[in-house]
Amino acid sequence: MSPEAAAAPDQPRTRWFPPPPTIVWAIAIAIVAAIAYIASDVVVLVIFSAALAYVISPLVRRLEAAAIRHNLAVSGVYIAIFLLFTITAALVLPRLRTEIVTLSSGTFKQQIDQSVDKLHRELIEEYPALEQVLGDPESRNERLSTVFQQQTANLPNLLSHAVEIAIVIVLIPVFSFFFLRDSRRLLQLLMDRLPADEIETSVAVWCEIERITGRYLRGLALEAMAIATIASTGLWLLGVNYPLFLGVFSGMANVIPYVGPFLSGTVVAMIAMIQFQSFAPLVKVMLLYLLIKFCDLTIIQTLTVGRSVHLHPILLVGSLLIGGHAFGLIGMVVVVPIVTALQEVTRLLLEHRRRKAGIRTPRRAPSTPIQNCVC
Amino acid sequence: MGWHWREWATDPEQLRRLKLLACVPLFAGLNRHQLGKLLIKLFEKRYPAGETIFREGDPGKAVFIVLDGRISIIRAADGAEKPLAVLGPGTYFGELALIDDQPRFAAARADEDTTLLILYKSHFDDLIEGQKALAVHVMENLLKTLAGYVRNEQARNALRGSKGQVTLAEPAAAERTRR
Repeated sequence: MSPEAAAAPDQPRTRWFPPPPTIVWAIAIAIVAAIAYIASDVVVLVIFSAALAYVISPLVRRLEAAAIRHNLAVSGVYIAIFLLFTITAALVLPRLRTEIVTLSSGTFKQQIDQSVDKLHRELIEEYPALEQVLGDPESRNERLSTVFQQQTANLPNLLSHAVEIAIVIVLIPVFSFFFLRDSRRLLQLLMDRLPADEIETSVAVWCEIERITGRYLRGLALEAMAIATIASTGLWLLGVNYPLFLGVFSGMANVIPYVGPFLSGTVVAMIAMIQFQSFAPLVKVMLLYLLIKFCDLTIIQTLTVGRSVHLHPILLVGSLLIGGHAFGLIGMVVVVPIVTALQEVTRLLLEHRRRKAGIRTPRRAPSTPIQNCVC
Repeated sequence: MGWHWREWATDPEQLRRLKLLACVPLFAGLNRHQLGKLLIKLFEKRYPAGETIFREGDPGKAVFIVLDGRISIIRAADGAEKPLAVLGPGTYFGELALIDDQPRFAAARADEDTTLLILYKSHFDDLIEGQKALAVHVMENLLKTLAGYVRNEQARNALRGSKGQVTLAEPAAAERTRR
């Protein structure tokens, strides 16, 4: 007998008990969340790339359905999108650029001053009691100038980030290309590693995640484009300046549940009031945005099927606040499908666990009885 | 010899799968376009010889199509394994999972290194949402298969009945499905 073996019975034995799986999972999720929070810039980049890949994937699949090689399908779709984007940019960007330059020029600030003066006078004529609240025009102009200076002070910093923005614009399509090209291979690798008795539930969970996020993101993109088109046309018909820029802004803002449409409507109403130097267009713009929201709820969302997320309103608002706080605007957009997918995954895993608990209970007959006599 | 773009652009493995799917009775009547749509929903998994694909009583969530290899469908009876069927390339099993996720009636095991194409119910549901014609074809084929089971059971019961035994029909043995 070895000396260690002889000494063993005298020493107190310490047995290591592995922690329960729930604790291991909780620790793993906490670590991933902490890394995501610390490296939020990279996470946002990856999320955006994955989202783009999701939006594009149906086109690739359509080609694959015709037995086109996977790599060729992915490359072909990206080349087609690049060409389409270039043509659209060549047609739309000059007009959009002119609108943005006009908006950011000094003439627009002068226009704001004149409009606010006129609206101020109108209000005081109508309701003289408001004069005490609003103050005299000089002090009001000073207050407005201070706010304007505060808001534009960060613009040079924003321009210094132009290089980073350009890198991100290049990196997102590149990342999404590789996501799309290699996702199937990675999935296959994962499939081959999964134990056979876990595979059905694992793939059911994966299908559910793919279905929810894919539909949501594709629906969101289509919805944003539809809203942008309708808003631009509506604003152009109303004679509001910068209809293209404001339409695109409305489409993009619409992706944020609850807050987005309200935000875009308010901005457009303010610009319309400044342009016409009157409160009258406020009603027209409000009516237009109510009409857009009505079309969105009744037609666009029904056709895109993208917003079919079933989250409790409190959970939805809570998710938006957390997503916005952690990752800004992009966080608010992507948090909804992520939380919905997590909700569905939890449901499926609980169902799997429940079934596994009663897995060997003998069932001699299926729930739907088979008739003994069928003609 | 000229350059054939079609040969260069198409994936021979995908073409082979398309041909195989066209021969699967469950997908009989589907056109090339519908088969293509179905094909991109399928997962492929390799099983080494002896590995269990699913066990008796597992919840059914997918239908399996044998691409390569051989599968045995077995059922435990009186403490022993009773083989129900041996399936080769182009055959399918577990099709009742497309209807509901009730427990599997029998187990499936790979007899040799086998590659299966797997169609999950979630994917099938997703597919038929926008493809009513496809859904009708697959469901019709499924109904024909089920009608076949029921007739077999009736015939078996009638035989037993004639010998003076009264028995209830066994649950449909969907896992025995084959060409």
